[in-house]
Amino acid sequence: MHRSLEAGLPSQASAVDEEVFHLADDAISLRNVRFRHKGSGRWALDGVSMDVAKGECIAVLGPTGSGKSTLCGVMNGTVPLFLEGDLQGDVTVDGMVPARTGTAKMAAHVGLVFGDPDMQLFGMTVEEDVAFGPANLGLDYHTIMERVRKSLIDMRLAGFERRPPYRLSGGEKQATAIAGVYAMLPDVMVLDEPTSMLDPQGKARVFSIIRRLKEDLGATVILVEQEVDDVLQLADRVFVMNAGKFIMQGTPREVFGRVAEVTAAGVRVPHVVEFGTLLGATRVPFTLDEAVQFVESGAWRTSDGTARTARACSGGLGCRAAGYEGSPVSRAASRQHEPGDVIIEVKGLEHRYPQGALALRGVDLTVTQGDFVAIIGQNGAGKTTLTRHLNGLLKPTAGDVRVGGKSIRDMTAAQLSRTVGYVFQNPDEQLFCNSVEEELRFGPGNVGIAGEKLDRKVEEILKDIGLARYREVWPKYLTKGERQRLALASVVAMDPAVLIVDEPTTGLDWLESLQIMDYLRSLHDDHGKTVLIITHDMNIVSLYARRVVVMAGGRVAGDGSPREVFSNPQLMAMANLKPPAIAELSTRLCGRVALTPEEAVDMLVQADAAGEGLR
Amino acid sequence: MIVEYESKDTPVHSLDPRAKIVWLLAVVLISVIWSDPVYLAGLAATVVVFGAVAGFPWGKLKGLAAFLIVVTAVITLAQGVTYTPAVAHLSAPGRVLFHLIPSWVPGVGPALPVRLGGFLYGIGMTFKVFTVLVAVAVLGYVASPSEIVQLIARVPRMPYQVGFIVSTAWKFVPVIQLQIRSLMDAHKSRGVELERGSFTERLRKTSRVVSPLFANALFMADTLALAMESRAFGSSRRFTFLRPYRFKPLDYVVTLVCLGAAAASIVGLAVRRLGAL
Repeated sequence: MHRSLEAGLPSQASAVDEEVFHLADDAISLRNVRFRHKGSGRWALDGVSMDVAKGECIAVLGPTGSGKSTLCGVMNGTVPLFLEGDLQGDVTVDGMVPARTGTAKMAAHVGLVFGDPDMQLFGMTVEEDVAFGPANLGLDYHTIMERVRKSLIDMRLAGFERRPPYRLSGGEKQATAIAGVYAMLPDVMVLDEPTSMLDPQGKARVFSIIRRLKEDLGATVILVEQEVDDVLQLADRVFVMNAGKFIMQGTPREVFGRVAEVTAAGVRVPHVVEFGTLLGATRVPFTLDEAVQFVESGAWRTSDGTARTARACSGGLGCRAAGYEGSPVSRAASRQHEPGDVIIEVKGLEHRYPQGALALRGVDLTVTQGDFVAIIGQNGAGKTTLTRHLNGLLKPTAGDVRVGGKSIRDMTAAQLSRTVGYVFQNPDEQLFCNSVEEELRFGPGNVGIAGEKLDRKVEEILKDIGLARYREVWPKYLTKGERQRLALASVVAMDPAVLIVDEPTTGLDWLESLQIMDYLRSLHDDHGKTVLIITHDMNIVSLYARRVVVMAGGRVAGDGSPREVFSNPQLMAMANLKPPAIAELSTRLCGRVALTPEEAVDMLVQADAAGEGLR
Repeated sequence: MIVEYESKDTPVHSLDPRAKIVWLLAVVLISVIWSDPVYLAGLAATVVVFGAVAGFPWGKLKGLAAFLIVVTAVITLAQGVTYTPAVAHLSAPGRVLFHLIPSWVPGVGPALPVRLGGFLYGIGMTFKVFTVLVAVAVLGYVASPSEIVQLIARVPRMPYQVGFIVSTAWKFVPVIQLQIRSLMDAHKSRGVELERGSFTERLRKTSRVVSPLFANALFMADTLALAMESRAFGSSRRFTFLRPYRFKPLDYVVTLVCLGAAAASIVGLAVRRLGAL
């Protein structure tokens, strides 16, 4: 299937024992497939059927735990050979039955790429890594090197041959992982959330590679993703999963034309699509240009000239249908808090790592009590280095940081933990107790909170984070979203005045992201906590933050409200960031930044009513 | 002392892995049998030259240098005070160079005399430590773990998968180090004073890191196995190594020189006491 790689190379068929049942036109055929894990009564896949033609690009969307990864595993035999359980129904991929052929032998036909690039790179150089698969197939040296060369060119990694994978950026690492799979010439590429751990630049790189796989190289692609904005323009067909079933399927336009259902399934709807839906578009826009064209056509006005919108937007489309109680309106309310006294003061902060890299170059920053700050910037901009000073994990090379009026230079991280709580990006590096309840008691015990006060606090938090029924469960058994909430709660239990949360939504689905962000908002609104988040997700910034600090090159490049920051194109470009699509759209339509689709619709309707016309 | 491998086009990097191993073994053997600091200094110089040809990043040995200064001082003075070789090619190995406690210290000095023989022996020991540590670091820098895999896999009847287990373990040492640091940071952030308390207390607090580290390592091993199998690991009995396993003229030269030097130093020591103090 891969036109570029196939040319002039010998067939690999002889290298692998194949169990060929038939030469089908379909690359993948699933018939009423059911699977449940060993010892589980619940079907992780529950009667799934799909046919995928060669060269098709299929997107599979759905919340965490809906069965997407299990579906991927079925295609290369890791389910049920690696993840044991009861598999029923017919699975045929490239004419073979994966469960009988075996994962290692299926690898020549189905390439599986995972979300965490670090866990799938085996070589000491990019070249070695990409050669790993073909070398396992026992191909001869010259064939391997030719495939490696072409794979690296096709994945835009030419020149990276001798680079060690661990020194690459996230996007480059994932591109290497894809190249390693691609070099084995599989007929089907299965990508299981390949961008979930990447920053915006990394995501853009991976999506450009997937686009190339589909459009230029003719690969059959199964793409499991949470990043729906890009999926809309890539996929030929979309399948939405929930509770092990396909609950929706069709072309992207067919599926995303039913916005409420999509959201109810736990899938984030792109703001541009939501904007079009709120305005009653029969053909929902997928891009900014399409949205502008739709508005300019005037089709959103009723015959009497007023806006067609029914104001379903005030509650946020579909969120309630999904059983999610939060709403964009309540999220926006967190911005009404008045700032209090200064709690953190950073002056001329510099930090040089022992290896010599100067990560911070004179940072000045003041945080007041009651702030809700989002710190944004590209990887390497200095965000994490800065925040690690605020709880004493790092000490300044020059300058000073004062917390509650005291310099952190003479304080340990443990002492500062009473005032500044720090939640790490990866919950697995923060959870180390044997049960959920023990995890919540660990921190408070270290800072002298005990007795009835602690008991009450634990009960309250367990209820707040929805984990009361898992109090005795080993945290490793929880889902990523639950572990992330527990990691946050384990710090909240210590009752610090300031909460710093590093990438609270990375790797979570949209509903999980909203849950953890709403928990943070309630801590801010109801308990007066000062909250600082580090994030790459501009949708989260626009929905929750009242203040945005933009970092670039180890300095604070900008500081203001989300609206101020997103309306400063020079600042965003300098920090290599992109504002959320809805901010760009509202700027194009009305000349002002809207932070939500509802707000953009309001702006448009008001501008139209005032006869201001479109910009 | 682990310095991570770097892929480069230097004559040392391009050597056959067997020649690199022979070099390391020869250096270790010679450094063990020699005790004369002059000879050992010469050996250390050859190791430095070998590293320089490989473009070794000497800056990464800053930590080692600090360690060596302390070790040098301790070994040299301790040997100088406590040891006088019975047999040495020195006119007066027992001659006192100076006293650790000088004569002007009232009531105690002069005391703890540092003698010539022991002092030189101590310097020789320091060169030994330096030479072996730097040689190991240079080997880690010029020999890819995949070359080590290849070496192991070439052992008769050895499945190539065994070599991969060794190489994967090697590759994940820095990942595990990073995880230990993260877990310790997480403990500090939740109020644990890791830097304070008695040694036993600190040990007890730090040991809490072991259990999550073990759980994470198991999870990582599971994911790795899945990812490796998804890349056809074990699908064929044959694995194609990327580097041709063939001795080039330079490999013969390096191997013969190293073996020759090791043999000569053994013979020279036995016959003429060359290299002995």
